[in-house]
Amino acid sequence: MRIALLIAAKDLRQRLRDRSALLVAVVAPLGLAFIFAGLLGNATSFHATYVVADLDGGHLAHALRTDVIGSLATAGAASVTDVGTDAEARSTVSDGKADTAFVIPAGFTADINAGRAVTITLVGARNSGLETAVAQALARRFGDGVVTAQLAVATTAAAMGGAMTADQAAAIAGAATSMTPPVALADSAAPLRQLSLATYFAASMAIMFLFFSSTFGIVSLFDERRRGTLARILVGPVRPSEVLIGKTLAGIGAGLLAMTVLVIATTLLIKADWGAPLGVAALALGAILAATGISTFVASFCRTAEAAGSATAAVAITLGVLGGSFFPVNQAPDIMATLTLLTPHGWFMRGLGDLHGTGAVWTDALGPAAVLLAMGVAFGGVGLLRSRKLVTVQ
Amino acid sequence: MRRTSNRTGDHAMTTTPAPVVLDVQGLRKRYGQLEAVRGVSFQIHEGETYGLLGPNGAGKTTSISMICGLLSRDAGEVTVDGRKIDTGAVAAKAAIGVVPQDLAIYPDLSARENLDFFGRLYGLGGARLRQRAEECLELVGLADRAKERTDRFSGGMKRRLNIAIGLLHSPRLLLLDEPTVGVDPQSRNAILESVAALSREGMAVLYTTHYMEEAERLCDRVGIIDAGEIRAEGTRRELVELIGQEDQVRLTATGDLEAAAKAGRAVAGVSGAAVVEGRIEFVVENAGTVLPSLLEAVGRAGASVRGVDLVEPDLEAVFLHLTGRALRDAE
Repeated sequence: MRIALLIAAKDLRQRLRDRSALLVAVVAPLGLAFIFAGLLGNATSFHATYVVADLDGGHLAHALRTDVIGSLATAGAASVTDVGTDAEARSTVSDGKADTAFVIPAGFTADINAGRAVTITLVGARNSGLETAVAQALARRFGDGVVTAQLAVATTAAAMGGAMTADQAAAIAGAATSMTPPVALADSAAPLRQLSLATYFAASMAIMFLFFSSTFGIVSLFDERRRGTLARILVGPVRPSEVLIGKTLAGIGAGLLAMTVLVIATTLLIKADWGAPLGVAALALGAILAATGISTFVASFCRTAEAAGSATAAVAITLGVLGGSFFPVNQAPDIMATLTLLTPHGWFMRGLGDLHGTGAVWTDALGPAAVLLAMGVAFGGVGLLRSRKLVTVQ
Repeated sequence: MRRTSNRTGDHAMTTTPAPVVLDVQGLRKRYGQLEAVRGVSFQIHEGETYGLLGPNGAGKTTSISMICGLLSRDAGEVTVDGRKIDTGAVAAKAAIGVVPQDLAIYPDLSARENLDFFGRLYGLGGARLRQRAEECLELVGLADRAKERTDRFSGGMKRRLNIAIGLLHSPRLLLLDEPTVGVDPQSRNAILESVAALSREGMAVLYTTHYMEEAERLCDRVGIIDAGEIRAEGTRRELVELIGQEDQVRLTATGDLEAAAKAGRAVAGVSGAAVVEGRIEFVVENAGTVLPSLLEAVGRAGASVRGVDLVEPDLEAVFLHLTGRALRDAE
């Protein structure tokens, strides 16, 4: 083991002096995480700016303004301002001061009470599709409520033989719209396990570029062969297996260094929230072993450092795409979510998500970490067996 | 018997036993149809420098690779300091220092860091490692460049560091495989002096080369190797005596020298002929008798002879005598 550690320490020293390695291991993933999170960062927190022109002034228009549209403002998801005219509402949107305008026409309340169709006009800004879609949903929700109330009043009136006072009708309408829906969707865990985009891209870039860091140990074996230093090592009191272990440890060490720097840097620079440190450490260690194992396996099919470097890079990028390094998997087709589980990336991201669930503890990451460890042992074991030929005398 | 050397090839025998450090017996290696090494056997004693002299492709590097356990052998035995060497003999290999023909150093580490790494592989550490590293750097003249990255070194400096690494752990046996190839004359001289100093300190040295001058200058005994076989072995004098009463004639000439050498080889009494560095070398039975016929044959072949030298036979002449070719012919 002393010899293996000696070789690993020497390799890491060389690695730290290689500026291009620093670029690949730290600067590139950090930069890409920063760019992706910056580009897509606003997508995670919804906030709309609405303007309302109430040309009616009746109680139903007031209910729409206050109870429906206003509820978004109360929840902090929207800012709502009032204007006096249709033109003013439209110009506010066209000036870019609001995402969507609600124009409630005059006679809105009276028409509804009389059972006539009414129209709420929505004016959306060019680049505010999501905000306008939410506005449409709000309007429909209000419309559904109106239909429900009208149906309840009509049904009751029919039952009473048509004799109903205005107060009675209002009471029935109020009761109908305030009823609790008989069916509710319980979805407590899924949204809470979602990572922020900053965290997502910090983690996904970290594990993708981890392959480039971890692969260097085994790839350097080819360099040592070409340079003659491997032969020089092997003529000494050294077992070939010690060289292989040393190279593997070097890959693990390089991955560990790169991952540590990236976790700290993304936490400080782009406010990534990785989760419970012990859980993150378990996942990181599993990911490093998986990346080193897969790299060793891939490199064992190659004959030169250049071929090994290219092959492991191709595998790293392919796994990165399949594993969701470039886009959140929850926004992709279902088949992608399944495919991610074939990659270390998918299990790493799943483990991080588990650390962000309601009441999550660090041990929640142990399952995915164990899968990563198994991947590393399986691929690494076969890879090392195949790599024996690189250090075997002829 | 302890061997002492005067570097001219003669050994004085004393009554002190000279331990055998390297014993090679019947070494064989085949690559497909090519038998690269064919039953090589020799011994090297403590404090002795043994040269394997032969052209490129003669089997020198293959022999060294088997001796140091880097290459498996088809047959034969290697014993270093009484311990059998093979590819799995991990501990026994610590007694050997190897200086490979090609540079084997890390360009992105300093000279000192290279020495530290390889020294620790051999179990050195602490004050002992520091002391040996300083001694070795001093020996090869790199003490003032110890902290410099080796990719900034000249070719000669890299060669010298290559040697320093090989002798860092004070091996009982030092294997030097053509250590001066591609080296400038100044560095070559420094390397040869370093090797001579090591031998004086009692290290057994196996030195492979295709430079006749190096073998003559450094080695107590020389094995002449060609086509995987040691054709002759002994001190310089013993080897030269193989030529017997033959003389070495060196013709300085112009024209088609190869044709002239071929024509001269056909003359009765000529046992070897080769073009060496723009001259034609002949090994002849009796220069006084053969020379007129030889000059006539050379002239008929189209060469104009400008000078004739009768020189004392050297190892080049021995190789010529044994193989019919010059050392450099075979390269």
